[in-house]
Amino acid sequence: MNLIWNEQIKLYAQKSTWVMFIVILAIAIGGGFLTKFMGEEADFKEYGDNWQTELQEENAQLIADMEKDEFKEFTNPPIIAENNYHLENNIKPKPYDGWEYVLENSFLSSLISLFTIVVAAGIISNEFKWGTIKLLLIRPISRTKILFSKYASVLIFALTLLIFLLVTSWIVGAILFGLNGLNPSIIQHQSEDFVQNGVFGEIVEAYGLSLVTLVMMATFAFMISAIFRSSGMAIGLAIFLMMAGNAIVAFLAQYEWSKYILFANTNLKQYMDGGVLMNESMTLTFSVVVLLVYFIVFLGAAWTAFTKRDIAGQ
Amino acid sequence: MSKPAMQLVKLKKTIGKKPIIKGLDFEIQAGEVFGFLGPNGAGKTTTIRMMVGLIDITEGDVLIEGKSIKTDFKNAIQHVGAIVENPEMYPFLSGWKNLQQYARMVEGVTEARMNEVVSLVGLGNAIHEKAGRYSLGMRQRLGIAQALLHRPSILILDEPTNGLDPSGIREIRKYIRNLAEKENVAVIVSSHLLSEIELMCDRIGIIKNGELVAIENVQSVETEESLQEVYIEAEPLAPAKTYLETQLANKIGVTAKELSLSVKREEIPAILKKLVEQGISIYGVRVLQATLEDKFFDLIGENTIE
Repeated sequence: MNLIWNEQIKLYAQKSTWVMFIVILAIAIGGGFLTKFMGEEADFKEYGDNWQTELQEENAQLIADMEKDEFKEFTNPPIIAENNYHLENNIKPKPYDGWEYVLENSFLSSLISLFTIVVAAGIISNEFKWGTIKLLLIRPISRTKILFSKYASVLIFALTLLIFLLVTSWIVGAILFGLNGLNPSIIQHQSEDFVQNGVFGEIVEAYGLSLVTLVMMATFAFMISAIFRSSGMAIGLAIFLMMAGNAIVAFLAQYEWSKYILFANTNLKQYMDGGVLMNESMTLTFSVVVLLVYFIVFLGAAWTAFTKRDIAGQ
Repeated sequence: MSKPAMQLVKLKKTIGKKPIIKGLDFEIQAGEVFGFLGPNGAGKTTTIRMMVGLIDITEGDVLIEGKSIKTDFKNAIQHVGAIVENPEMYPFLSGWKNLQQYARMVEGVTEARMNEVVSLVGLGNAIHEKAGRYSLGMRQRLGIAQALLHRPSILILDEPTNGLDPSGIREIRKYIRNLAEKENVAVIVSSHLLSEIELMCDRIGIIKNGELVAIENVQSVETEESLQEVYIEAEPLAPAKTYLETQLANKIGVTAKELSLSVKREEIPAILKKLVEQGISIYGVRVLQATLEDKFFDLIGENTIE
């Protein structure tokens, strides 16, 4: 426990760590203002008691627009469809609120992945760079424990960032847009259809799924850091793979074995929406097993490199 | 004799096919300051790294208080405090927080102990400044502080006086002697500076190309029955020289005001007495100590790195 505490102190004593938090705060606030002042008016519209008539009038207007403007032929039908869903199911549309803002911001988890990669890549290699690894490893503590205290520290950091993003988005969203109750339901477009879901569950799902990529990439960067003792290489490789991962999978999709590639499995959402699967033979269990295998291999490699090798001069 | 604090048993290190350390075999007793001397590239740091388990031992073993660093790392290393090469610290933490890091890694280091160590190495108020702003000398002190935190029975210092000013070197030297004599700590000091080691060590092990060339007792060098160079400032000079030449078989040299001769230490009073009896005035006598340096160069010869 003390070891993890030590790692956290080292982490938060560095300015770069605080910059990460400030960037997330800035994006949460900036994004909020952008949505508030540049967003579509229709999203914020508050409907009165006779909202059914309002929606029908709106639809009529949208159809009229489509005839005048070719571009609107593509943009308007989804809005009409959504309005019809409200009418058919007798659900009064609610204006955009803080909860939805939190849900939208789940895309920022890729930014958190990025920051976590930077931290994971540095947490071992920096000790080598500073030369402090020598002082660290001559304590009566096994190398394995030190390695895992560092890994745990990375995960705690990632979780802290994620919670920070959630909380700041929620506060910014609540101030700028207000909240529609404690757990309002939202209408979502899902494979040719609309469904009504509790926003709270949606948020947990979106952020939870983003953790998969986050943890895998952080573990990967951590392994590179332990093997090559160079943070630059770890950051570079991990970010490259994160960015290019989907492209690589798409490129190799014609081969049967491509389903064993890490990135073909990180997006677990493909099993939840009932959308198109990349490879029909893939199941949720299959992906989880593949992910676990990668995870164990990454940690095993990091462990072997860290505990077995000599700590020689620079 | 009691159990040695540290024992090297046929210690060998091979990197690739190249033997770096070719079998070191010696012991260090509690309460002794052991100098580990050798030219650059002789294998001092490699040996120290093996002593503290930073690198694998190819063959042989290091026993610390009887416990093997290879098979019983935790129990062996807890008796050791060390600085390996430069004392590197986290630059973004204060000296105090650097120490806290290490204090949390062993049991039983209290805040009182930390304060004690800080005042011992004389860091004073600077301890709350960031270590990144420390001079090399200050980092050296902080390095010694972290090595002493857990009251080790063996202290390993790699070039401890590196970067210290003369008064700092004196302090550290005094402090090391104190630790060895009062607290019975075994101190291992490595250096390529002979004059340094000579002043603070009881025994010196000289290493060259991965082999132990000699182990010398420092005191013995000074009191040995070897010839010493003696300079006598006398007046008048010429008769004094002639007289001594008749009395001694030695060769007598003459400088501007002095006679120079090589004699055993015990002979000096007799010679002076005879000179005085001859009516020769003596203004000064100085003895040139045969330093370890001569011995050192005799032993290692040219520094050729294989």
